[in-house]
Amino acid sequence: MKMLKLLLLFVILGLGVVTTVMYSGIVDVAADEPHSDFVYWILEETRENSIKKAAENIEVPDLDVPDLLLTGGSDYEFMCSSCHLAPGQTESDMSLGLYPAPPNLTIAAESHKGHEHGDGAQNDRKNFWVIKHGIKASGMPAWGKTHDDQRIWAMVAFIKRLPTLTPEQYQVLTAVD
Amino acid sequence: MKTALLKKASKVALVLIPTITLSMAATAHDPSMHVKKAEKADCSKMDHSKMDMTDPVAIAMMKKCMKQAEKSNDKMDHSKMSKEMDHSKMKKMTDKNEKKDDHDEH
Repeated sequence: MKMLKLLLLFVILGLGVVTTVMYSGIVDVAADEPHSDFVYWILEETRENSIKKAAENIEVPDLDVPDLLLTGGSDYEFMCSSCHLAPGQTESDMSLGLYPAPPNLTIAAESHKGHEHGDGAQNDRKNFWVIKHGIKASGMPAWGKTHDDQRIWAMVAFIKRLPTLTPEQYQVLTAVD
Repeated sequence: MKTALLKKASKVALVLIPTITLSMAATAHDPSMHVKKAEKADCSKMDHSKMDMTDPVAIAMMKKCMKQAEKSNDKMDHSKMSKEMDHSKMKKMTDKNEKKDDHDEH
């Protein structure tokens, strides 16, 4: 009984602390003020493990289809490049202003700092899931609300080849018909 | 004398610093930087000899450029052209650069 009372006290105290933090306004939500390393690590680990688990059963189709690169290319240019950049570009207003910073998809996944990416198929699955469902409070939209799976796979196919593209190849693949 | 000079310098700084800061901000947010222009594919730089035609990227590029070339051909409506073009008013179709065969030995 004494133990239960103590537990109840801790729960009430915890709720009190959370409520105080919420309503006092002491948490800085500014995007130009980074999290501490510890908070960043907690959020990143939570995000990466959530995506990995949610995407583990997705079946990856054949992505080496030229038509997928054409569809995915023009979609990437208009929907993604302002944040995730294009070959020859190192930064944009969006890539500098968003927090957490959107990954630069013109460089190979293995080169991204911070977290592991797994093998090619696992990476494709993760990219598909992220494009389709988006990520809460990160600036990444859920494109699945307006785009079918085939179109999202086309973007995944394009993103897979993106680090190998020259600016000239990128221009041709992403240009309008 | 010194104080007058200091006052003048601080006045100039007061005007210049906000002006430069504001003009830099205006440059950074030039709307043209955010506009996505629908560009046509620039196929002139494609070097077919260096392209691996088994590579999906090369095939996709070829497809895009061929499609673009077909579209630009379609824009030229030859059926309308023949009606509107008055061949009688045109100069005789002799090419000035045509090489004439001057030799008469055969």
